Amino acid sequence: MSATSETRTTHEGPLETVAGTAEFLRRLRSGLNDGLDPMSAAERAAVALPKTLRDSVQRVGRRMAGRYHEDEWGFDEEFAEAVYPFFEFLYDYWWRVQATGVENVPAHGRALVVSNHSGSLFPFDATMLVGSIMKEHPLPRWPRPMVLNWAFELPFLSFFMRKVGGVPASPFNAIRLLEQDEIVMVFPEGVKGTGKPFSERYRLQRFGRGGFVEVALRTGSPIVPVAVVGAEEIYPKIADSQLLAKLLGAPFVPITPTLPWLGPLGLIPLPSRWRIEFCEPIDVSEYPPEAADDRALLFEISERVRDTIQEQLYEALVRRGSAFL
Amino acid sequence: MAPGRRVVITGIASHWGSELARLLEADPSIEFIAGIDTAEPAGDLERTEFIEADIRNPVLARILPGTEADTVVHCGILWYPEPGKSARALHDINVIGTLQLLAACEKTATLRSLVVRSSAAIYGCDGAAPSFFTEEMARRYPLKTRFQRDIGELEGYFENFARRHSDITCCLLRYQPEIGPGLDAPLARYLSLPVVPTQLGFDPRLQLLHAEDATGALAAATSNPVRGPVNVAPRGTISLTKILRLAGRPTLPIPHPLFGPMFAQLGRRLGAADLYNDGVMLLRYGRGVDNTRLREEVGYEPRFDAEGAVRDFVSKNAASRRLFPSPLPGAVAQRFVGSR
Repeated sequence: MSATSETRTTHEGPLETVAGTAEFLRRLRSGLNDGLDPMSAAERAAVALPKTLRDSVQRVGRRMAGRYHEDEWGFDEEFAEAVYPFFEFLYDYWWRVQATGVENVPAHGRALVVSNHSGSLFPFDATMLVGSIMKEHPLPRWPRPMVLNWAFELPFLSFFMRKVGGVPASPFNAIRLLEQDEIVMVFPEGVKGTGKPFSERYRLQRFGRGGFVEVALRTGSPIVPVAVVGAEEIYPKIADSQLLAKLLGAPFVPITPTLPWLGPLGLIPLPSRWRIEFCEPIDVSEYPPEAADDRALLFEISERVRDTIQEQLYEALVRRGSAFL
Repeated sequence: MAPGRRVVITGIASHWGSELARLLEADPSIEFIAGIDTAEPAGDLERTEFIEADIRNPVLARILPGTEADTVVHCGILWYPEPGKSARALHDINVIGTLQLLAACEKTATLRSLVVRSSAAIYGCDGAAPSFFTEEMARRYPLKTRFQRDIGELEGYFENFARRHSDITCCLLRYQPEIGPGLDAPLARYLSLPVVPTQLGFDPRLQLLHAEDATGALAAATSNPVRGPVNVAPRGTISLTKILRLAGRPTLPIPHPLFGPMFAQLGRRLGAADLYNDGVMLLRYGRGVDNTRLREEVGYEPRFDAEGAVRDFVSKNAASRRLFPSPLPGAVAQRFVGSR
């Protein structure tokens, strides 16, 4: 367990990784045989990993010299891999995410993943969706989430989002990414979804103006609806502070059972149990690209996707059972 | 044999004007090249005729028809002050000068195409902006800075002119900021500072166009003008952090509300004058544009991509080599002393 999480952060060739891991595991086992507890054994076995340390130092040196790759969107895969273990921890232990139907996301070519949106303060649902594809898909690749534009106006958040693959939510960006055969993730509810009160949890809001369908039709991308259950409980929004929202220029500032009462501790999301269920892809390739100008068709498909997600949400809620235990 | 083309370049004394003339001189299909400016071009131009005139002066309407030009290339638009062209005169040169030039073009019966060197600043810089602006996305964001408003006015005049003269091919090139070895521009001076101030928590995506490609695109558009605006930019983007790391520059992150006022002082020293506000926004949010039209319709493929342009600048910039960081404390100390 600790062995795999130790070695994931290395970026060596497969041979070195195997050798390093084998040495680590050998030392771990001999430590356990000597009667140590797993943590101490792992600590002792870590001496087998100076290579890893050396590699990290080299990696930092290389990056400081500007020798790293960012694609034209500013996505920095190495950076994403470096922060991934934190989200993997949330995925495995904090929210104990169960994902089903990940194989509905095509292994090759373009796809538009459409999800419900919730989580009020920090919409962690996007990160867990990325996690589910990276962890559970047989051919994982980094999906590109469309991120609320406001995030790109803020210091730190703006470049963090960019470096992990997020792009400002704009149909132009979505079309360009899909034409590059990427997986694009959209949340058509937008702020209406994340900002809804706890009493309205798992009730889908309006799906924008159907812009995501237009994007799918123009690029001939299959739409993969997803239902995410669990994010509604991480920061249950019982009220919101309009004054603070105005001061910060934020879309809304939630008041939760822990925020702002517990100060910074209130920022820790509650450990709800999550289910992510991917539905069958909806193929729109039967329509010509000109169909994107047909408003009625856009609304019809948009409504079909919305109904699919809503139904899946109710089913997933039943399958999840208790929210926290 | 059909008579060759006759090209008139305004702003011939500027870097872009004289570089373009140099390229066009090598083209045998161009019979006549003339350059208009207030000062004589510095370079070694062979067959370019120099016409001393100010584009802000109505006398231009009498000079231009006399050249019997079929192509006018307007390189007279300034992004920052140049020797003999003060910051105060920028608005006059960019807006009034263009207006006078268009009036003179109207009087020139032989004119077939007009190429204007404009700026991608018309798109603005915004965190929420599309990552790649295409040509039809101009003015989606309010024009905030003085330079942007100048460009906006200028584009307005240009569109008006193009609408009324459908027989003339009017091509407007929207340039991303240029960089290149030997090109003395505020951005190059900024990147060559011994310690480069940046905005804390922001790392903009930039597209710096190599000076060679900037001239190349101008020449390509002169020989093959297309109607309407064309973005001139390299492929891909590069983040400011990566640029500064490639250049081996130590950075000084400053909270962004303080960066503006500080940059106002710095901007004047860099020669960016009152245009510093454009720089502040560019260095906070960055800007990317789509160059499909340039590649497919004008038919110009930039030689350098965004990263290549920076690498070339860094490798050939002498100051940059001298300041390259070294782990030795003595060399570091010398770097600061030596950069005075």
